[in-house]
Amino acid sequence: MDILACPVCKGDLVLNIEKEDTNEVISGTLYCSVCDEYYPIEDGIPNMLPPDLRE
Amino acid sequence: MVTIEYRNARVNLADQVYDPAEDSYLLADTALELVKDGMNILEIGTGSGFVSAVIKANRDVRLIATEISPLAAECARSNNIDVIRTDMFAGLKNGQHFDVIIFNPPYLPTSEDEKVPGWLNYAFDGGVDGRKDIKPFMEQVHNYLKPHGIILLLISSLTGIDEVLEEMRHHGFASNTIASKKCSFEELVVIKGIKE
Repeated sequence: MDILACPVCKGDLVLNIEKEDTNEVISGTLYCSVCDEYYPIEDGIPNMLPPDLRE
Repeated sequence: MVTIEYRNARVNLADQVYDPAEDSYLLADTALELVKDGMNILEIGTGSGFVSAVIKANRDVRLIATEISPLAAECARSNNIDVIRTDMFAGLKNGQHFDVIIFNPPYLPTSEDEKVPGWLNYAFDGGVDGRKDIKPFMEQVHNYLKPHGIILLLISSLTGIDEVLEEMRHHGFASNTIASKKCSFEELVVIKGIKE
């Protein structure tokens, strides 16, 4: 997770963990305070697509 | 679910995700010759995760991958690849983190009426000249590569090998072809680039 950045501004993100196992985050969010945008982590995959490109 | 085995790796495949083919095997074989234990590896556009899975099955490395298709990202994840759903490098922090960056881009010249529906198009569609994604890759890759790091790029003779070598030189990479394989209507090559 320490290698991830906001895809829009490349800034740092704040990790909020909803569910994790011993070595990884299963679900949660990554928040960019500059863009005021949340990026979801679902089934262990961070979705770093900008909101308008998410399906 | 279809699973294939290759060089100690077991890889699940999925619908609407590119099935490993000659290009994937050539890139995986070539990568294994260069990747050493302890390296940090990034694969861009991992698809099923095949190349990354072969590396992880044979080398003790730290490896992450990116992928834009949700179906392919899920497939790669099922193959124990740490995958991030993002467009190329977009969701990655700037910084020279990686010893080797591997990319099997969509490299086939593709016109509007040759596009395939759905996410699978991302695996093939290299734009009209086959080099649509190579240019932005080359513009950004130096931000993520360690000094003297290596890039491995798989393309086809249909992509324009000389043009890609020139693009890499333009961005300051010493580049040469290190592996090749003739297939029915094309020649596949792996190009190695080192930042000068």
